[in-house]
Amino acid sequence: MTTNTQTAPARGGTSSPAGPGDRRSRRPRAGGPGLRHRWRDLASRWVFLAPALVILAAVLAYPLFYTVWISFSELDLATFTPARSVGWMNYRTVLEDPGFLNSLKVTGVYLALALPLQMLLGFGIAFLLNVEWRGRGVLRALFLIPMVVVPVVAGGVWKMLLDPLWGFVNYVLGLVGIGPVNWLSDPTLAMVSLVLIDTWRWTPFVVLIASAGIMSLPGDVLEAARVDGAGWWATLRKIVLPLLAPVILAAFIVRWLGAVKMFDIALAATKGGPGQATDVVNLYIYEKAFRSLEFGTASSMATMVLAITMVLTFLFLRLNRYLEKRW
Amino acid sequence: MRSFPRAMRGTTRRAVLAGGLAAVLTASLAACGSSDDEVTGGGVGTAEKPVSIRMIANDAFARQWQDQMVPEFNKLYPNIKVTIDGVPYGDLLAKEMLELTAPDPTYDLIVADDPWIPQLAKTGGLADLKGDLGKFTKADYDWDDFNTGPLAAGEWQGKQYSVPVRSNELLMFYNKTLYAKAGLPEPTPKLTWQQYLEQAPKLVQDTNKDGKPDAWAVGTYFTKDPLTPTIWQTILNSNGGQLLDGDNKPAFNTPAGVAALQTHIDLLKYAPPGAATYQFNEPLEAFRQGKTATMFMWGSVYKGTAVDPKTTTLKPEQVGIQVMPVGSLSAGAHRGMWTAAVAKKSKQAEASWTLLQWLSSKQGEQWQSNTLGVFPARKSTLSSTPQQEWLVPVFKAIADGYVAIDAGKMWRPKLPESDAIQQILATQTSRAMSGQATAEQALQTAADEVSKLLKSKGY
Repeated sequence: MTTNTQTAPARGGTSSPAGPGDRRSRRPRAGGPGLRHRWRDLASRWVFLAPALVILAAVLAYPLFYTVWISFSELDLATFTPARSVGWMNYRTVLEDPGFLNSLKVTGVYLALALPLQMLLGFGIAFLLNVEWRGRGVLRALFLIPMVVVPVVAGGVWKMLLDPLWGFVNYVLGLVGIGPVNWLSDPTLAMVSLVLIDTWRWTPFVVLIASAGIMSLPGDVLEAARVDGAGWWATLRKIVLPLLAPVILAAFIVRWLGAVKMFDIALAATKGGPGQATDVVNLYIYEKAFRSLEFGTASSMATMVLAITMVLTFLFLRLNRYLEKRW
Repeated sequence: MRSFPRAMRGTTRRAVLAGGLAAVLTASLAACGSSDDEVTGGGVGTAEKPVSIRMIANDAFARQWQDQMVPEFNKLYPNIKVTIDGVPYGDLLAKEMLELTAPDPTYDLIVADDPWIPQLAKTGGLADLKGDLGKFTKADYDWDDFNTGPLAAGEWQGKQYSVPVRSNELLMFYNKTLYAKAGLPEPTPKLTWQQYLEQAPKLVQDTNKDGKPDAWAVGTYFTKDPLTPTIWQTILNSNGGQLLDGDNKPAFNTPAGVAALQTHIDLLKYAPPGAATYQFNEPLEAFRQGKTATMFMWGSVYKGTAVDPKTTTLKPEQVGIQVMPVGSLSAGAHRGMWTAAVAKKSKQAEASWTLLQWLSSKQGEQWQSNTLGVFPARKSTLSSTPQQEWLVPVFKAIADGYVAIDAGKMWRPKLPESDAIQQILATQTSRAMSGQATAEQALQTAADEVSKLLKSKGY
């Protein structure tokens, strides 16, 4: 399969540009020029790696370490530094916080609704765009517009569009005798609205990945299926979907990582309300940190969410690898 | 004089740190620094060596101040260069906290909303205006001329950290035309909540006779927002209740509290469709478009609501303003002062305090009121005859409001945890508003959470 044939040489090639065979032939002899060569080779690699490592440490490792540190501390607001260690107290507080547990549940519901919807729509639209028809290129370009809209702006604009008194959506629904619908003030509809806004924004991204995957499908296999008399449904079910499975999962993982940290659309559109109906976990953490200035507990929440996200992402990646090997 | 690049270095470093943390925490943490207890004056500048000061303020009025107030101030003090940076309301408190705890703060002046002063003062980053800066206070600066409520907004634990620079109160706006169409008498400051709720159904009207309502009784805060609970808090206060008792224990989970919240919820029945999402702009827009007969809103919006044709369809003769309806104790109002403080680490404390003194002086306040329509805090200003006629009823409403505020202690908790308490109340108010909980259940949960919060802080 395309994916496998591309990854196989890469695995060998990552350790040395010369390849495994060359590496064996250059095994150093004690004290000889081979050892010097190896050390110089190693040193040069580290020199090239160093800038990236320094940047990564500064922008990723340090904030991560600092967040974990604060999660075990009481932050002194007078100096904005950890004042004293409080052990696991912040974590115990978080686990007893019904608001945090509710926000995890809300996030779960949001992910369970938004991700499958975006995947279905994304791949469905990609299939349609893959067929030759006039205006396909223009539509493909238009599809990218929502992706470049700033999330807070998207949330704010949709809030206006969904307003029962002034909004365009209710105006259109009113023409056919429906409404006015309280999109953002009903707890259930508010979550539906949030999912729809996020889907509007991110489905084009899935379309983009899916289109690339569909275009890379091997034509000879599809041709062989056609010769063997397979219909479109059989081709889709037995050939296309299995071949696309790693792409689908890869798109899912990328979207999962994006969706799990979503909070800006919720902030702009609903502020997590009504009540706690759309209080996704990152919004809850944001409010806890920035509004209530509870940095210790907010850091504990962030650390816990990070751990949960890492575990689930790891499982998804394992599943992806399994699917790649299976087909 | 602070150079711009130096000021920016501090900002950039914190911005980088905050940006990194945001990836994990969506919060920002600033670098620590040494504390400097000594407030340096720095003088007020000379023609040869002017001084520069920088202010952080809400973006709602920062531009107006920069364009109009600063040139007026510079007529008197031409050697003090003032730069004002506007920050959106939602980001302002966090940014100010970061500023005050930074080793080399960018800002000399901090403009803060009413409940923020204890939180900001607790960092140790604000100068005591009467203590630290007392030596720079002009002899004719009249502290006693301030109404007690506005001045108290800048006081915490016996120290005066800030002075009122833009006063505000929750007041009742009403559309006289819609009252006349409904055949109701115009409200007076003696209107009670009971009378108001009896009239409210009649204010939901079909003014164009197409069979559908096109005007409603009320618009105000209903959504999940820290300012939304101020509506029912004011109702509670006007009935003699308080949010916290003298020992800082929740005192709102009472029949009076439940009744106050229920009144707020009941207002929703007479509000436009979708009003449950109303925050600040939506009720304002509905009222300015003539869609609502009354609005419980910050009084400072009066000019844009009744006078300025660029922002409203209404005219001054159509818009009434007064205190909120009367409860068993008093009429209602809710204090919402913007006060300004001097950063303790400012190298230009004297020039900064000079600006604040002018802005909050009798002269400066009258200029602000007459030119910008800003609400005053001084008795002398309120008892003067304003240059603009539309300010006459406004001044009366403000004065009545100050009386009500003092009588009912109508302000948010004066604690460093004030914002956290408002967050809890906002969430539970929203739950009750959307039917996810009853008023009783919501207040019970809020009381439990506030108790837990305050207990964890050692109260």
